[in-house]
Amino acid sequence: MKLETIVQKYQCTVYTPDIFQPEKDIAFGFCSDLMSDALMIMNTVRDEQVLRNAVLITGLTTNQSIRTAEMLDIGVIILVRGKIPANQVIEVANESNIILIGTDLTMFNFGGALYADGIKGITAKK
Amino acid sequence: MMSIAKHFDISPFDFDHAGMMSSDIKRTLKQLKFNFAFIKKISVACYEAEINIVIHSVGGYGDLKLEDNHVYLQFIDRGPGIQDINLAMTPGYTTANEESRLNGFGAGMGLTNIKNSCDEMSIVSDPNGTVLKLKFFITEDSYDEH
Repeated sequence: MKLETIVQKYQCTVYTPDIFQPEKDIAFGFCSDLMSDALMIMNTVRDEQVLRNAVLITGLTTNQSIRTAEMLDIGVIILVRGKIPANQVIEVANESNIILIGTDLTMFNFGGALYADGIKGITAKK
Repeated sequence: MMSIAKHFDISPFDFDHAGMMSSDIKRTLKQLKFNFAFIKKISVACYEAEINIVIHSVGGYGDLKLEDNHVYLQFIDRGPGIQDINLAMTPGYTTANEESRLNGFGAGMGLTNIKNSCDEMSIVSDPNGTVLKLKFFITEDSYDEH
């Protein structure tokens, strides 16, 4: 699913328009407010393409969401529950080349909608 | 031969700058053409260790040393130390405070995550501080095939 399609379908706000990639293909997603959990699960992913085509869905609007995505090579963060990031967080996202997007939907509803769209969840590999 | 050393100060509860060491190291490793999997495991371990100093200590520092056949990370803080290392290594066990949790950490997975990422880990702790040393072996698997 193209990132542009997600943004339009779910009326998302793009906070980093300068680095937005409308054609970026999104095939995987992971939801968490706990960055340690995101790091643990996604650290087990061996296929580079999975994370390159993944979104991190979170309610955490701090720099630590950006850093977590950066460490994992995830290029897109979608903030849920209508949370608005501080300008300083947007700056870090731009510097780290992480696309930052927001939606008013809750985490469950947004994750469920993307799942119904065919986006797959990322699970830990043993 | 290849040899790089870097030093980073890490401040307690400075969530605005937490992760800068890991970000710098990740960029350094990318420039050296290591592959995705190798860079990711070092970045994740480094980030978790950096965050540990931010959320659990009164401050400290991290060092990167890169030599021919290994990447070496060490993290040293000035206390208050880990009371029970075995307990701290238990997945889900945490002593993190509310501020850390509000920043997305304190899930009790940090040390477990670090241990799973590195090739060798040693940790020594007393009330004056904690020393965490991590080693990652550079092999032909650390690079993409040419």
